[in-house]
Amino acid sequence: MATTVRPVDPRRPNVASADIQLPAVRNYTQVTDEIIDTLRPTKAWFAALSVAILCFLIGALTWIYQIYMGLGVAGYNPPVMWGVYIITFVFWVGIGHAGTLISAILYLFRAGFRTTIYRAAEAMTVFAVMTAGLFPILHLGRPWKFFWLIPYPNWRLLWPQFKSPLVWDVFAILTYLTVSSTFLYIGLIPDFAALRDRETHPIRKRIFAVLSLGWRNSDREWRHFARAYLFLAAFSTPLVLSVHSVVSFDFAVSIVPGWHATIFPPYFVAGAIFSGIGMVFTIIIPLRRWFGLKHYVTINHLDAAAKLCLFTSLVVGLAYITEFWIAWYSGHEYEQTYFIERVLGKWWWAAAIMLICNMVLPLSLFVQRWRRNVVWLFTLSLFINLGMWYERFVIVIPSLSREFSPWQWTGYAPTWVDWSILLGSFGWFFMWFLLFVKQLPILAIAEIKEVLPPAQRRAHALAGDPGGGAPQKKYPEKLGRED
Amino acid sequence: MRGIVAVFNELDATVEAIERLRKERVGPFTVYSPTPRHELEHALHAGPSVVRRFTLIGGLLGASFGYWVAIWTSEYWPMIVGGKPVASWVPYTIISFEMMVLVGALSTVFGMFISSRIPRVTMTVGYDPRFSDGSFGIWVEAPAEKESAVRQMLGEYGAVEVRSER
Repeated sequence: MATTVRPVDPRRPNVASADIQLPAVRNYTQVTDEIIDTLRPTKAWFAALSVAILCFLIGALTWIYQIYMGLGVAGYNPPVMWGVYIITFVFWVGIGHAGTLISAILYLFRAGFRTTIYRAAEAMTVFAVMTAGLFPILHLGRPWKFFWLIPYPNWRLLWPQFKSPLVWDVFAILTYLTVSSTFLYIGLIPDFAALRDRETHPIRKRIFAVLSLGWRNSDREWRHFARAYLFLAAFSTPLVLSVHSVVSFDFAVSIVPGWHATIFPPYFVAGAIFSGIGMVFTIIIPLRRWFGLKHYVTINHLDAAAKLCLFTSLVVGLAYITEFWIAWYSGHEYEQTYFIERVLGKWWWAAAIMLICNMVLPLSLFVQRWRRNVVWLFTLSLFINLGMWYERFVIVIPSLSREFSPWQWTGYAPTWVDWSILLGSFGWFFMWFLLFVKQLPILAIAEIKEVLPPAQRRAHALAGDPGGGAPQKKYPEKLGRED
Repeated sequence: MRGIVAVFNELDATVEAIERLRKERVGPFTVYSPTPRHELEHALHAGPSVVRRFTLIGGLLGASFGYWVAIWTSEYWPMIVGGKPVASWVPYTIISFEMMVLVGALSTVFGMFISSRIPRVTMTVGYDPRFSDGSFGIWVEAPAEKESAVRQMLGEYGAVEVRSER
């Protein structure tokens, strides 16, 4: 039987990720103008920020209540002593991972589609890790003692237990927060310089001048900048893999049924990147619409990111199936019963949400038309966020509520305190993110200029420059269905 | 310090002017561009950045510190549990790895700051706000007697503006 190759619809070009171009962006000045133009605050922005702050305040007040009343007001029910807080901690750490994947790993792989989405993704990482870092503290009975986990010389002559996964967590999360904020700031320095040179208000100009550290775009600065940026990306790549591995050790190092498995580190890392890409879509799709940036974050960029989303979904799906396979292959009756209980038992609905949102719905991205349908991508991203939160629920709750001896088996129901603090975490995250998008450029000005063909006197290609002077590939202005 | 600032709109014009300036050996010069371009780097024949040394040294220091702090504190209060070694290097590798990344990344940034001479407190001469927007630029530190010749030369290569500063 002969293989038939169907011609690709020219209105829907299947563009390889490294070849993504910005046909509607003509020159460097346009980039500076249009991106700086997005920084003007609008009424809708103030409204969104108010909602975020309100949600954050609800969470903050609930926390004060919890400190006053004690941890009993959250839904803990022994032996279920890990609940919504730990679930949400893992959820937010996971969200952060896609940002580093896009900014560092795709940078090392020279994936062209990262250029216009990486700044938003990286800011998302920093704020998500800031949010995640609160949850182990919220989970403490005496949160003001959290610094005991940091090794510092003290009069008690006590040091942390370095064999404990919780201490590994402190090192991993703090390193991740420091390195990802450093990476974000270093990438921002040339953009601070562009803002400084454009700003007319003396106070704002002064602030940008300080933040830009006196950056002048000189050859010396760019040369060292490029090298430092490369090394930071090279450090962030193993770091991002280590952070969620360490988070998974919190579970895997214990002997609780359903947790004690060697598949946990890769399973957690894949899940983290998958959930993070979901959040990137949740953030970038409204942003490109509201800020009028559809010609920067084109449908081709979303298509390429959707392929990444599909790939990580397949990895996550494989990890789910492998877990069941390991349980069956172990020949261990209790392990097998636990996994049957996971999908058919008390928490079947949570497992169903997880499997449908993370394994089944993303399969739609095999179809190009759906990868290029912005409304579907946004809807799917909400399902992915929900599904990934429930994945952590499925990992934490069924295992703890069906621990070793049947006499201690119990249920778990989050209280209003848990839900308010979960809401507060979203408020806290979006508050920072919204403040970011109107103070600092959400698209990397200097890096977008890097992918544009520079202005040339003569229309000839310079040696070693694929874009220089050569006629740019032209795609139709409207690429299929925009939204 | 006195010299000449030239503003260029085109990349190839800037590259040609750089090549000429290198040939003529007028004086030390600085090239500005809104975004890093390989063409400029090739024209300048710049050597490899020294940032890599800071990264290596920082990474090694961080990794050793990570092992050291975990092993030393364990030995400081030696408590044998289950007949296992007091200082066990396997879990301590996690601490060591995280410290390697942390110290390595921060020393990379430190190295970048040192070698690109930032933070800079004052804006020195020879800069134009257009260099962060859409224009390329060259700052040549030329002695007074060569100034008019250099100005003319930069103009010939297509500079849209040439001015002297000090």
